[in-house]
Amino acid sequence: MPKNKVVSLDEAMSHIESGMTVAIGGFLSQGDPLTLIHGLKDTDVEDLTIISCTGGFRDRGIVELVNAGKVRRLIASHIGTTPDVVKAYHAGELEVELVPQGTLAEQMRAGGAGLGGFLTPTGLGTVVAEGKQQLQVNGKTYLLEKALRADVALVRAHDGDTWGNLRYRGTAGNYNPLCAACADYTIAEVEYLYCPGEIAPESVHTPGLYVKAVVRADLYYRGSSLSAC
Amino acid sequence: MPDIKNIIAARAARELKDGQVINLGIGIPTLVANHMPPGVDVVIHSENGAVGVGPAPEPLCGDPDRGNAGGAPITLIAGGSYFDSATSFGMIRGGHVDMTFLGTLQVDGEGNIASYEIPGKLVAGMGGAMDLLAGAKTVNVVTEHCSKDGASKLVKKCTFPLTGAGEADVIITERAVFRRYPGKGFVLEEVARGYTLDDIAACTDMDYVVSDTVQLEAFGPEPGE
Repeated sequence: MPKNKVVSLDEAMSHIESGMTVAIGGFLSQGDPLTLIHGLKDTDVEDLTIISCTGGFRDRGIVELVNAGKVRRLIASHIGTTPDVVKAYHAGELEVELVPQGTLAEQMRAGGAGLGGFLTPTGLGTVVAEGKQQLQVNGKTYLLEKALRADVALVRAHDGDTWGNLRYRGTAGNYNPLCAACADYTIAEVEYLYCPGEIAPESVHTPGLYVKAVVRADLYYRGSSLSAC
Repeated sequence: MPDIKNIIAARAARELKDGQVINLGIGIPTLVANHMPPGVDVVIHSENGAVGVGPAPEPLCGDPDRGNAGGAPITLIAGGSYFDSATSFGMIRGGHVDMTFLGTLQVDGEGNIASYEIPGKLVAGMGGAMDLLAGAKTVNVVTEHCSKDGASKLVKKCTFPLTGAGEADVIITERAVFRRYPGKGFVLEEVARGYTLDDIAACTDMDYVVSDTVQLEAFGPEPGE
């Protein structure tokens, strides 16, 4: 029987320290690990670097950590849906590095897969290319983008078992699996918790070897406020 | 008052070819799906991890785990699927998405597109637009011809930060259609009802040439609309 990794929210949060880099799954609140984000908000850690595709949606998600003064630097693709994140950036309270969305995804994938980086045509001729090495392969020019790693990842899955096998639902599976793989210590909140074997092996999206701790998700906080039923 | 956004979207939809996989940006591009020409069946890719996007769900009946790149709820058609973002952008950069439609702040005669930032004013982030411009086989810029202050969005040279260099293939506005050809730059091919060649010249700062076979009254509101 694989190890039971189910822990309390407090126990999971005790692995996050000030100054760490934290990758957070979700996309405009679809699949945001809000239980873990709220747990992190209640700790006294600060000076965090957050890697996440967006800043959240309106007043929910990463923006809550920014408003709580916990974030020094945000690496993201789009912050336009969270006015408070834009405000914090303009006020000089938050460093923001904007990255093309596909590059961010591949940076996480590469980080999780032990690669140093990758070559992409995205961003050539734009500010994204400034200061970066360009290489020619088979007559085409590419930008060298470096991999991203995190100390901790926070992800949310619809289904999970006690060993940390995860299965996502819908577009909530866009950044969560990438985040889960790119960190040293991945914490997953799951909406439905199963015993090992109950999730069909061929439908596991994130194998449990990537996951260090499993937390029960607070089902009250779920998804986008735009789509509430 | 003609519905400018839907005039642009309707004309843009005529670029579609049966069987294509397409990606639609936020705003006017989203409306393209409402104007599919008869006999043209396309599959819609959403860069945040879905292909086979169907009609929007009824208001307040969306699924919180199923959204588009703007966060709005979606449905999938039979045969659609979900996948992670590394796969999704691999599809885009790998040339598996035939066409993308996106709006812009500026576009110029060299095909440069500036769509994500007005320095000092609007800082939102490029999202997936840079990957889509670099990866999609055909890039259709769909935009109102002029900004709210009346300035041409088809500029001599982009001054805002670029989303893509030399990536625009077709520009579709409520007034005209321009198509870019190697060595020629943008060629004015169609003028909408209600506009003359002189009108287009007066509201277009971008360099272009007029096609020998330019079509006048090619699209736009029907007389009386």
